[in-house]
Amino acid sequence: MGTATGIIRALNSGIKHIAMKRFTLRYPEEKLKFVGDGYQFDPSTGVGIAGYKGRHMLFHDHCTGCQLCSIACEGVAEAIAMVKVPEEFKQNKKSIMPQIDYGKCVFCGLCVDACPFYALYMTNDYELSSFSKEGLIYTPAQLQVKPYVAQDSEIKISDRGATHG
Amino acid sequence: MGGLTSTSKGLYNKGKIGMTFKLPPGLALQKVDERIMTLNVGPQHPGSGHMRLIVQIDGDYIVACDPDPGYVHRGEEKMAEYRNYILNIPHLERPVIHDSCNVLYPYVLGSEEILGIEVPERAKYVRVIASELNRCIYIMYWLAIYGIFLGHSTMFMWPAGDRELLIDLMEKMTGARVTHAHFVPGGVRNDLPPNFEDVCLRQVNYFEKRIKEYAAIFYDNPILIARTRDTGILSRQDAIRYGTTGSVLRASGVDYDLRVKEPYDVYEELDVHTNVMKEGDSYARSKIPWLDMLESCNIIRQALQKMPKSGSVRTKLKPNPKGKGLDSVYKRVESGRGSLGCYIVSDGKVEPYRVKLSVPSFRNLIALPNLLRGEKLGNMPSVYWSLNYWPVEADR
Repeated sequence: MGTATGIIRALNSGIKHIAMKRFTLRYPEEKLKFVGDGYQFDPSTGVGIAGYKGRHMLFHDHCTGCQLCSIACEGVAEAIAMVKVPEEFKQNKKSIMPQIDYGKCVFCGLCVDACPFYALYMTNDYELSSFSKEGLIYTPAQLQVKPYVAQDSEIKISDRGATHG
Repeated sequence: MGGLTSTSKGLYNKGKIGMTFKLPPGLALQKVDERIMTLNVGPQHPGSGHMRLIVQIDGDYIVACDPDPGYVHRGEEKMAEYRNYILNIPHLERPVIHDSCNVLYPYVLGSEEILGIEVPERAKYVRVIASELNRCIYIMYWLAIYGIFLGHSTMFMWPAGDRELLIDLMEKMTGARVTHAHFVPGGVRNDLPPNFEDVCLRQVNYFEKRIKEYAAIFYDNPILIARTRDTGILSRQDAIRYGTTGSVLRASGVDYDLRVKEPYDVYEELDVHTNVMKEGDSYARSKIPWLDMLESCNIIRQALQKMPKSGSVRTKLKPNPKGKGLDSVYKRVESGRGSLGCYIVSDGKVEPYRVKLSVPSFRNLIALPNLLRGEKLGNMPSVYWSLNYWPVEADR
């Protein structure tokens, strides 16, 4: 192939893309759709359930304060600290629950795998930025809240190419 | 002038020109040819990554090159001695975060042998799919940087965008976009989401169609060929002698791929074709990864077809699994850059006694000084990046 034809072909290949639809995602207006409700773990079978590994969610009525999540995190990120909570629970005599520092968390989800009482799950929430370091520390009360995550955009493939829509 | 000497007389008298310094024993001053200029490329230069290339040039030609890695050493191997077999997973995938499944693969295979765990059949296929998707993600990132090193902005934008197709699949599969922490001794962390096979097949097919379009704009482009053809030639003998692996070795005409030569997991049952080119120049080294991506798409399709449709994906482990006494194992896999080995020694405790990673990046870097000798300085980025080198992995 000659040099001129090669250059014309290369240009032509690029020019075709002017007519194609945009593939990129316009992030704050559109948000990605995830499968499921977030990463969960079933201790009876020892297998997780697929989902996005985002901010954690803590079920206060299941947590026994056994510190297994905190022990698992010690070798990874040291993000989980056990803190006192004001309420008293029947299954949690010491009234201690995990508090997670998202400035340190690496979102590996090994704390979820460690929990044998179905108390700690991960949700689809990934917008965790804060103006201060203290704002990244989520107390057990904050972790109890189920986040609302807008999910509207998915990869769609047609004859004219792929788009987010 | 007068003011300067009067105020700092003592200081200037010490460093008289022509004065002989007494050097400590064992050290010698380097003799400098006046024609030669020493140039530091990096460690903050975008053209080198987190490493430094000390290049000596005569005019426009490179006389010598001394790669200086080590700026991103993290002590991964030492860290692995203080954590148990499961907690080692998140930090051992950090050396190459966009190839994290492949970096973890030899460690997981080795610790399975030490801990004596059987892996379910379905988990092996899930691992192969995750590993091949990750290889494509890595190569796309590498290709994007190769494009921008050559000043080809389109080749930066396209791979960076098309990578999204595969990152989206990995996100559905593992729950994370880059550091997946998906492989564990005994299988994978979670089963595939419902309807994943169809989505995967559709996106991989589109991805394959898309990367075939790169041929016209990049690989058959006469400008690229003029810049990379016959630069940095690594002969077949040298490639074997320096111990290079992966795409660098295959571009020099050696038919060597661990997926074929030493099949691990279910690669025996899959039909893997090795791409070999004979030229050994930068162009061949840049084209082999692209051919590997097309081959990966084939492997993913085969694996999706042969995978058992249901079944367990993870053997249930006891808490804190231990080895059976003094034991050692060496496992290696074909990563995005070449053969990646992991040597694990166990002394029967909860933590491994020693974890040693043998990384392909460092082996490929050894060839660099010989490739650059006699090249023009302008060809340095293209030759350097064609070695499929990732600085963080070399330093680990």
